[in-house]
Amino acid sequence: MAAAISIQGLTKKYVDVWQKQEVIAVNNLNLEVQEGEIFGFLGRNGAGKTTTIKMLLGLVFPTAGDATLLGKAMGDNSVKSQLAYLPEETYFYDSMTGWDLLDYYGRLFRIPEPERSRRVQICLEKVRLQKDAWRRSIRGYSKGMRQRTGIAQALINDPKLLFLDEPTSGLDPIAHAELREIVASLKDEGKTVFLSSHQLADVEIICSRVAIIHRGKLLTTGTIKELTAGERTEIVVQGKAVTNGLLGKLQALVPDTERTGSDTLMLRTEDDDKISAIIDIVRGAEAHVLSIVPHRRALEDVFVETVRREEASA
Amino acid sequence: MVAIAIARQTVREALRRRVFWIFLIVAVFLIGLGPVLGFLTPKESQTIMRSLGLAVILLAGLFITIVTCIYLIPVEIERRTIYTVLSKPVQRFEFVLGKFLGGFAIVFLSIAAMGAVFLALVYFQGTTRGPDAGVLVWLTSGKFPKEMVLGVVLTFFQMMLLAALTIFFSTFATPVLNFFMSFGIFIVGNLSSVTESLTTSKNGLTSAIGKIIHYMLPNFGNFNVQNAIIHPTTEISNQGVFIRNNIIYALIYSAVLLILAVIIFDRREV
Ligand SMILES: Nc1ncnc2c1ncn2[C@@H]1O[C@H](COP(=O)(O)OP(=O)(O)OP(=O)(O)O)[C@@H](O)[C@H]1O
Ligand SMILES: [Mg+2]
Repeated sequence: MAAAISIQGLTKKYVDVWQKQEVIAVNNLNLEVQEGEIFGFLGRNGAGKTTTIKMLLGLVFPTAGDATLLGKAMGDNSVKSQLAYLPEETYFYDSMTGWDLLDYYGRLFRIPEPERSRRVQICLEKVRLQKDAWRRSIRGYSKGMRQRTGIAQALINDPKLLFLDEPTSGLDPIAHAELREIVASLKDEGKTVFLSSHQLADVEIICSRVAIIHRGKLLTTGTIKELTAGERTEIVVQGKAVTNGLLGKLQALVPDTERTGSDTLMLRTEDDDKISAIIDIVRGAEAHVLSIVPHRRALEDVFVETVRREEASA
Repeated sequence: MVAIAIARQTVREALRRRVFWIFLIVAVFLIGLGPVLGFLTPKESQTIMRSLGLAVILLAGLFITIVTCIYLIPVEIERRTIYTVLSKPVQRFEFVLGKFLGGFAIVFLSIAAMGAVFLALVYFQGTTRGPDAGVLVWLTSGKFPKEMVLGVVLTFFQMMLLAALTIFFSTFATPVLNFFMSFGIFIVGNLSSVTESLTTSKNGLTSAIGKIIHYMLPNFGNFNVQNAIIHPTTEISNQGVFIRNNIIYALIYSAVLLILAVIIFDRREV
């Protein structure tokens, strides 16, 4: 599979002339995103996500490094007809109607009529913007309606590669789930999505791979499965006969075993194969297994751990 | 063409600004005052009306052009609508060209609107002595005097040049700074007789600076033919050539400003 985005050593320094300060917003970033992926781009506020996207789209210029989009050098105008961008805060021409806005963007893509009107309608329907709002000015739109318009605008040219900067922030739970599904559905259409988001639960559901950046530096990248690997199961054992003998036997099998009360033990293991052996030992000792609870590591845990570790070492 | 779409959108947004309509309505009102004032001073009526009309068109045109054009590009950056435009297959020169064309269109609309009202009044208004000496009768002049039409046309080209200058400044200056720069250069550029006299100064430095100012800054003064028109004693030897040269000057100077604006905007981060 070809790389939709390939970033080599991308760096952006902002220099504040007055304060003589230098901010390294993006620091020697290397990244590859394959075609057809929904790629999650994660990081704390100010980590450099938006700056990276803006460099890739030619809105700001890199201090160093390079990138290709769909095989073309970034900033190449010819590739832009296959790109889409939803900025993090969607300011639009407020006095326009949703329809006119999409029509205008369609013109910028040089889509001729009647194809353009057809595209506008398809996109507005796809994001489920309520029909009575199509011909109303955007000034009167709610946050959710604006966000839907923003995604519709990103779809107007039927793009191959989409940059979505926090598409689901600030939405009610139902709108949130709807928009998440719309983004997820782009994968089925074979599109590549570069998704910057703080909604880690969403990212976990819809992204195939993610990268975590911190202070402009790439900390880690991998599939959700790889990153959340290390599922842990907690087993609680209870019984009159919780003797030191039983404790010893279990500890021999599962090192992380501890007494949590006069008649209870807690075992933690990452090896599911040991569970039946544990049950056998407990049965033989006239105790019983009170609970077996698998603890999956969430992406959020991975994110917090990764960033904390980096902050501690800095 | 993409630049045309951007120009259309630019005009649309500019026409939504209240300040544009306030200037335009006040200007039309003042132009309409011309015949009334003229009626009060019958002897000078034609001169008063014509000079007032052209002066109002110039002043209102000046303010409309500057307050509109200082914002055309900055507002897109400030509201970040420019992100959604420049991330599409829109080259930066197309964006700047769209803004220039949009600015020219706004100048055209406002000067055309004011000019139409003015010329209509000039067409209809005219007073003359009736058969009884001392009695004024209303007559229509029944024609569009050539000099008045030319006055309006030259004001348009003058404002077009100013629009180009203001939009050029807006690629690097803030709107407030731009307001003063455009306004200042408009005034200095109107004093072409003064700057011209500097070029011949005996002091080498003064003459050098004078030359820079006189030949580099847009020569706005050349478009002010009201004096020549209203006071026919000042002769312009070859009117046709003079007007044609002024129009060509406005077009070429604007084109140069457009190119410079593109060069600067190409390097600008948004
Ligand atoms: N135009 C600018 N001038 C100076 N510094 C900037 C500029 N834009 C961004 N920065 C700095 O660059 C860093 C990265 O900002 P960026 O907007 O890319 O972060 P982000 O990851 O998108 O954050 P968030 O999640 O809050 O949107 C921040 O420290 C920010 O202050
Ligand atoms: Mg951001």
